[in-house]
Amino acid sequence: MSETNPEPEDGAAQPSRRIVLALGAAAASTVVTIKPALAQTAGSVLSCQIPVPAPQAAGQYIAQDGSLVAPGTPGSFPPAARPLTGEEAKVLLRGGTPVGVDSQAAQAYANYIRRLQAGMSGFTCYASLQMPR
Amino acid sequence: MAGPHYVADRADDVRLVELDGLTALYHRPSGTTHILAAPAPQILAAIADDPATADEILARMAAGFDVDGDRDALLSRLAELEAAGLVRRASCSPAEAA
Repeated sequence: MSETNPEPEDGAAQPSRRIVLALGAAAASTVVTIKPALAQTAGSVLSCQIPVPAPQAAGQYIAQDGSLVAPGTPGSFPPAARPLTGEEAKVLLRGGTPVGVDSQAAQAYANYIRRLQAGMSGFTCYASLQMPR
Repeated sequence: MAGPHYVADRADDVRLVELDGLTALYHRPSGTTHILAAPAPQILAAIADDPATADEILARMAAGFDVDGDRDALLSRLAELEAAGLVRRASCSPAEAA
């Protein structure tokens, strides 16, 4: 990505050439997502992460139904101490409690994950969990 | 006219490898890999953990590049990156609240 500037000649600094960045036509595509092979998918699902809540909602508490509420709201739970892995999310969605997760908050976290939508941090991981293998 | 703020994950959350004009990106939070062509990597770099509107993104990229294209073209690229899960709209947008 870096561009080297030519050596100055006769002590005169030369202007650096700027790279032209074309934004492209509206119909052009610049992103291709690789669909991993099934075995690799399994590995990715186990290691992908779901922050609870998403970073942009950091600090908000999670109500029993999975919605985000103000800190300290009665019946709500503080954010998960760390992002949950795909494997932990699977346990939560089955009604279990992964190691290191507050058992009382587990159901709220599971409901939060179920409410994830496209574009939200962790959604891709959650969607991967739903894919049949 | 400011529109929504867009944000990408922090640099720590992705692994980038240059591939002869293309960029392979591994997105740690989702565990997915993407192949990106310009200007996608440059857009992600412009808003990594630093939300910005489309106009602000154009201004940031113009600081390092001669940008060839308009706001509509940028919005199309942002839509692609959103669909891929690499960009999201920041929930708290000062311009939106105004």
